[in-house]
Amino acid sequence: MTWWQEFISFFSFAEPNVEIVFWGSLLLSAVSGLVGSFTFLRKQSLIGDVIAHSVLPGICLAFLIGKEKDPAYLLIGATIAGWLSTVAVDFISSRSKIKSDTAIALVLSVFFGLGVLILTNIQHSGMANQSGLDQFIFGRASAMNPADVQVFAVVDILITLVVLLFFRAFKLLSFDPQFAQSIGFPLDLLRVILSVITVATVAMGVQAVGVVLMSALLITPAAAARFWTDRIRVMMILAVVISAASGVIGAAISYTSSGMPTGPWIVIVLSAMALLSSLVGKNKGLLQARLLRWSNDRKIAIENTLKSFFYLTDGFEDDPGPISSKTLREKSRMHRADLRRGIFFSRLKGFLKKENGGWVLSEEGEKISKETVRKHRLWELYISKFMHLKPDHVHDDAEGIEHIITPEIEAELEELLEFPETDPHDKAIPKV
Amino acid sequence: MITEVKDPSIETHNLTVVYNKKPAIWNIDFTLPKGQIIGIMGPNGSGKSTLLKSIMGIVDPNIGYVRIFDETLDEVRDRVSYVPQRQSVDWDFPASVYDVVAMGRYARKGMFKRLNKADHEVILECLDKVNLLPYQNRQISQLSGGQQQRVFLARALTQEADVYLMDEPLVGVDASTEQSIITLLKQMKSEGKTILVVHHDLHTASDYFDWLVLLNTRLVASGPFSEVFAEDILKDTYGGQLTTLSKIASLLKEKSFPMRHK
Ligand SMILES: Nc1ncnc2c1ncn2[C@@H]1O[C@H](COP(=O)(O)OP(=O)(O)OP(=O)(O)O)[C@@H](O)[C@H]1O
Ligand SMILES: [Mg+2]
Repeated sequence: MTWWQEFISFFSFAEPNVEIVFWGSLLLSAVSGLVGSFTFLRKQSLIGDVIAHSVLPGICLAFLIGKEKDPAYLLIGATIAGWLSTVAVDFISSRSKIKSDTAIALVLSVFFGLGVLILTNIQHSGMANQSGLDQFIFGRASAMNPADVQVFAVVDILITLVVLLFFRAFKLLSFDPQFAQSIGFPLDLLRVILSVITVATVAMGVQAVGVVLMSALLITPAAAARFWTDRIRVMMILAVVISAASGVIGAAISYTSSGMPTGPWIVIVLSAMALLSSLVGKNKGLLQARLLRWSNDRKIAIENTLKSFFYLTDGFEDDPGPISSKTLREKSRMHRADLRRGIFFSRLKGFLKKENGGWVLSEEGEKISKETVRKHRLWELYISKFMHLKPDHVHDDAEGIEHIITPEIEAELEELLEFPETDPHDKAIPKV
Repeated sequence: MITEVKDPSIETHNLTVVYNKKPAIWNIDFTLPKGQIIGIMGPNGSGKSTLLKSIMGIVDPNIGYVRIFDETLDEVRDRVSYVPQRQSVDWDFPASVYDVVAMGRYARKGMFKRLNKADHEVILECLDKVNLLPYQNRQISQLSGGQQQRVFLARALTQEADVYLMDEPLVGVDASTEQSIITLLKQMKSEGKTILVVHHDLHTASDYFDWLVLLNTRLVASGPFSEVFAEDILKDTYGGQLTTLSKIASLLKEKSFPMRHK
């Protein structure tokens, strides 16, 4: 079988184990996207990291006590250890001069170090059933069994119910905790509840992605979803979808290349989705911002090019005939590249024609040219009058603003300035 | 110069808040009148925000207590509204103007009860009062500083409280927004509301406030505006005294001198 066939066969559930891996990864990552949305909104990725690393000693101790890999035991052990780590961070940062990020680093390394120590001991003790414990470092979804999936399903349902019930409170806690407290929401209790479900989520998630990459599974889905929407509910639903998809795809890839840990694959898929979202997401998408910049730059280049004609012809009073590229280059005060671009696009849009080896404006082009100068001079007048700037300080500002003044603003300016005839330098404001 | 009033809106007793062994406010003891616009002024770091937060129970005082309408805060919480400093939240949060203003209604509805049609109408009305009705669907990060400030004001208005504690509601707003906010506050006052406003600009203070509280870690003055707003008292607040006081405060911190803890 080729790699791709194997990848597809994962989703056909040909082997019974595959079904378990599928549902296990789905349940783990979906809830992580849900709960992680609040971690993301509260900017607590570091706390996610502490919890993830700190569950390790809990898992190991639970294994030592229970002598086997019972999922419920491990989950409880992990939750207690994760919980203790958050308490430790709070305690250290509130009772000492140590800042919270230092406290986080401290707690993280102590807990994780302890976990690795116990883990090494277990592995050297030659205990039966110890296999699979090391999966918690980088995660191995394929080690999951039906009992795991049952526990995950129950925990998922419980956590979802808690989130639905406390949605309003968690939202306010994330946005404006001081206000939440001022209207009497029980902030401490809410923080504890949110902490508990976060810890439980992490304790489950480490099975698939491992402690090292778990905080990425918490934060990244929400971060990716945020690019697509400004609504918190939509963001959370999207985060769940993105996270679940990454979980399943990551598990499938790692399944096909047997022996590969799941965690890195899930996180790679997740990061790819986040990258894609940042490029094409409707919100703050880089690509969209880039496109907008391009279109702005183009508009500015066109208008500046056309404006040069106004100055070169003394406001279209003179008719010097076609103007050569050389003259434009020398007189227009534009960068060469901008001018070249301005000419190119002006010609494309029919504002500019080539005649006898020089350039002349079309009627439309002349209109835009005058319009640009007009806006420039109106703006100069406006700021010198209302912001009391000296006339020699207003030009640069107007150079930028002239391109974004809309017809509405133009009308408003005119009215405010009582339909002026000249700018602060006593130059005529052209009419269109 | 501290003037006491009978039947106060807010009174504090020996209110003291200590951060890292350094007092932010120290022995604040005052009574404030009802139905007035009360300015709270003092230099940066003089404890103005801390004072509001401790009245609101957001920080626990190390010593002292607060009474509002002669009750504890918990008994009258739904009659008190708090407007935090604008910079205290992240405006990139995924929420619209309407969403944030609606949060004010949570004060009445609590954590679980759904907002109904009446709530919706109050929200729209309050949006209108601050001229934000056309912006109700806009994402909050796409607002100017002045508009964000008005979002917070509208949220407070939906609480329909009797006392409003506002932390720098006029910072970062342009002159015309400032005027419209002041008009709104005066209108609220005419409806009998008590409004505490943390403010920075000494020049405009006389146009806005009926009562003035001057703070510099300690309470310097509290009284009718015209009596308090005198040059020597202002100097006490902003001038020479400041250095002595902050020296003492730093010394306390440096020597780990025990402030009385509760
Ligand atoms: N959470 C905190 N932890 C430690 N110190 C704090 C904390 N909040 C405030 N402080 C300190 O307490 C003092 C008073 O702060 P506060 O914010 O109340 O002053 P303010 O008068 O509101 O200042 P500003 O005019 O800058 O808003 C300051 O010295 C400040 O550094
Ligand atoms: Mg302040």
